[in-house]
Amino acid sequence: MRRLSLGTRLALLFAACTASVSLGAGLLFNRASEQHFVELDQQLLESRLALFRSQLVGLNSPEQLQGRLPALRNELSHQADLALRIDGPDGANWFASRDGLPGTPSTSALTTLHADGVDYRSLAVPPDAQTAAQLTLFLDITHHQHFLQGMQRLIWLTVGLSALATALLGAWAARSGLRPLRQMGQVAASVSARSLTTRLPVAQMPEELAELATTVNAMLQRLDDAFQRLSAFSADIAHELRTPLSNLLTHTQVTLTRPRSLEEYREALHGNLEELQWMAQMINDMLFLAKADHGLLVPGQTALALHDEVDALLEYYAPLAEDREVQLLREGQAVLQGDRHMLRRALSNLLDNALRFTPAGGQIRVTLEPGLRICVANTGAAIEATALPRLFDRFYRVDPARREGSSEHAGLGLAITRSIVQAHGGSIRAECQDGWTRFVIAFTEGR
Amino acid sequence: MKLLIVEDQARTGQYLSQGLSEAGFATELATDGETGQYLALTGDHDLLILDVMLPGRDGWQILQAVRTAGLDTPVLFLTARDAVEDRVHGLELGADDYLVKPFAFSELLARVRSLLRRGASPSQDTTLTLADLRLDLIRRRAERAGTRIDLTAKEFALLELLMRRQGEVLPKSLIASQVWDMNFDSDTNVIEVAVRRLRLKIDDPHPNKLIHTVRGMGYVLEERHD
Repeated sequence: MRRLSLGTRLALLFAACTASVSLGAGLLFNRASEQHFVELDQQLLESRLALFRSQLVGLNSPEQLQGRLPALRNELSHQADLALRIDGPDGANWFASRDGLPGTPSTSALTTLHADGVDYRSLAVPPDAQTAAQLTLFLDITHHQHFLQGMQRLIWLTVGLSALATALLGAWAARSGLRPLRQMGQVAASVSARSLTTRLPVAQMPEELAELATTVNAMLQRLDDAFQRLSAFSADIAHELRTPLSNLLTHTQVTLTRPRSLEEYREALHGNLEELQWMAQMINDMLFLAKADHGLLVPGQTALALHDEVDALLEYYAPLAEDREVQLLREGQAVLQGDRHMLRRALSNLLDNALRFTPAGGQIRVTLEPGLRICVANTGAAIEATALPRLFDRFYRVDPARREGSSEHAGLGLAITRSIVQAHGGSIRAECQDGWTRFVIAFTEGR
Repeated sequence: MKLLIVEDQARTGQYLSQGLSEAGFATELATDGETGQYLALTGDHDLLILDVMLPGRDGWQILQAVRTAGLDTPVLFLTARDAVEDRVHGLELGADDYLVKPFAFSELLARVRSLLRRGASPSQDTTLTLADLRLDLIRRRAERAGTRIDLTAKEFALLELLMRRQGEVLPKSLIASQVWDMNFDSDTNVIEVAVRRLRLKIDDPHPNKLIHTVRGMGYVLEERHD
């Protein structure tokens, strides 16, 4: 089944509302008029019945009735829709002013009866001390019924017509009211990978749609960012792999151009091996990052004494730090639920990075704060503020001139650190102050 | 020592077979799952090296068949898949180790030797020796040519590893894992520096060098007579 359009849906709803309101009003009016007729009938019947009764006072037998009939008929002839029936105390019919009257009603109160295709309302006076006979007065209410039927038809007609009118007007109103939504759809349709920069005009949107438009714009922004990053990432991969690959190709081809000594061949293979290992390392790092991007990094949940982990790492880096004349320090203690291997890797990348940029005589300080923050700080030249958030981007290097060359590391270390920290529900940022560069990892409380 | 390699990539299989043969192992190579399983169940192997993705039967099915037949031959998986659940799956089925492609041959060789050694009873030696280098494991002392050498705890552990596996090329990743318990790939040159410092104490005062660098592969402790 095809879904109804919003316009049609609204028009139908409007029509249904109008129809039910007018139907309700009509039914109420119908009922009120019916009630009004009943009251009128009752008054009429009561007054007439009282009149006839006064004329028939002392009536005890059908024979006595004969004398009073002319006056009775004269009275009845004034009102064509009235009929009178007189019954004896034994139930025998003494008189009926018209043929085809219904039988004596069981109750003396106002009753609606039907006989020979005519509707009557009746009111009766049972026999009493003054009159032995029972008087029943009938009122022909056919014309009332006709009026009511006519009115019912009118009600149905009003319901139908007003529903139709509101449906048409509603369709028009919905159509013009929903115009901003259609515009939104057109803008959304024009968005493609090539034109992620298009945005919805929030200022021109009605209140209800402004929020949606803002959300859609935010989504477009995120998509645009992710797309830019992905494009840059692919380009970077190509670039990063191109250098070692071209080295390998050139080196291998040059080596093979003429016969060489065994030593030269060995040297060539060793050179190739180094390039290849660098590439393998980079591919493994990228696989790790890809896994993190797909949320496949599931850290273990062991309670780790971070001070012990940091001490182990500082011991690991001690020879390198001594070589570079850099002092390594750890302050504070903290416990964290996490994955030992991953956290060691994350911190190791930070230390490795710090060692790379700390000048001789400098210091690297790891501070642990319970609750929970890890800060890896090193002395060294300040990094430009604009470069700080980009440090965690893949392949980002502060000094672009140091890009090339296989001995240089791939520039994925800090990206890996961030992935690991995020997989643990934490965040990382870099800051520069007073001659210190700090990498601050913050984990939310309760971990 | 006889090894079975089941690997459908012809070149990979051939290189592995050549490398392991030259490292002193007898090797048998199967290029599809069916043959691989038949050989694994009938041949008398000390170690199985299985690729996960194979035509016919995959590596896990072979492993299951081997374990069902009651064989406890150690199994090393080679896999291009890197998903955690894959590793868990393999280890649950009774694999002993796994290596994710791309891997270095030196790493594979070191793992193969570790697995083969696992079955053997650990050596009861209290001293390790090579040429005039002596390591006293109980008193934690090292001496060369009768002269005592002062080593830090980690330097001692590094030297002990090299001595225990003398003649084997040990990749940096294996050294980092065994000595410092750092089980991740890292492009840092910490190990280079650590080995250089050890060399300074062990080899520098002596003409007969024992610690050798194998470029792009790792380090080996052995006596060389050039």
